[in-house]
Amino acid sequence: MELYSTKKLKDEGFEQILNFFRKKSLWMLHYCTGCGAVELPPTMTSRWDMERFGMGPMATPRQADLLLITGYLSLKSLKRVIYTYEQMQNPKWVIALGSCPINGGIYYDSYSVINRLALYIPVDLSIEGCMPRPEAIIEGFIKLMKQIENGEAVGYKKYQENYKWYKQNQDSVLKREFPVLSGEEK
Amino acid sequence: MNQKELIEYIKNNFKGIENIKSIDEKQFSITVQKERIINILSFLKLSNFKELALITAVDWIKEEKIEVVYILFSYEYEQQLIVKTYIDRQEPSIESIKNLWEIATMYERDVHEFFGIDFIGNDDKRPLILHNWKDIPPLRKDFDSLKYSNTIFGKFKKDKE
Repeated sequence: MELYSTKKLKDEGFEQILNFFRKKSLWMLHYCTGCGAVELPPTMTSRWDMERFGMGPMATPRQADLLLITGYLSLKSLKRVIYTYEQMQNPKWVIALGSCPINGGIYYDSYSVINRLALYIPVDLSIEGCMPRPEAIIEGFIKLMKQIENGEAVGYKKYQENYKWYKQNQDSVLKREFPVLSGEEK
Repeated sequence: MNQKELIEYIKNNFKGIENIKSIDEKQFSITVQKERIINILSFLKLSNFKELALITAVDWIKEEKIEVVYILFSYEYEQQLIVKTYIDRQEPSIESIKNLWEIATMYERDVHEFFGIDFIGNDDKRPLILHNWKDIPPLRKDFDSLKYSNTIFGKFKKDKE
């Protein structure tokens, strides 16, 4: 925990002007790992129509601003999520859908599903629910836009600032060399 | 042939069956000894059970045994057939059936990863699903999944109010 700096990060000055424009055009990359992916087609298409907020789906990580983690993450997909996140260009934001990325959800005792996503990549906003309805997702988007406008959505800066801490957590699950059960419970 | 005739046919033509019984009108099961598993499976393949649907295992920790299950299907008789055999739990090993059905290599690789059963003749033991696994196989009954999850991913703690 000492690696994690307590410095308060906030967007200031010229960034705030940029943020006003950034929040109006968010391109969303949805990484469909879990069951939450099924809520996104209605959110994107005519019924709930995400485009009225200036948001749209994007196919590649390099051109996206927003990474959506839709549900539970197994160890193998965590590795791919980290690759994807690091490919995205600044500024970038992460939204975690559902209760699984918060505390494991119904997979709290699974040997292959992670319990807390915020340990491995910075999460700007979590939308709880199993699964959240499109209304909840859209409310989350609006909340993120407000955060961006106020300069509070600084997950990517936290990642750069505390990279050692995040890297240590990532390695502790992905590069383990000894049997797990001989260790002590965290 | 309906199921009764099939059971009679198998009983009369194959010696060494420990137990054969009907489960419902579309399923029945056969228990054989470990040594006769290739014989019974090749016999059944010749008698029109051409499809190998699944290989899996069950860990009976109190009896100190592992049950290996082969599920066959016949499109001709519209019957599902479950072939079971019991092997020792301490040193689990059984002959591979990859020469009968080629798809068995994948199923055996999967069962080897999750139960630690050694399939003699199948050398493909590369991990298929698990990431960087160092503990005992996860579907053994003595594997503590909750403790594993708490150790590696951290216990869920309620935030102080």
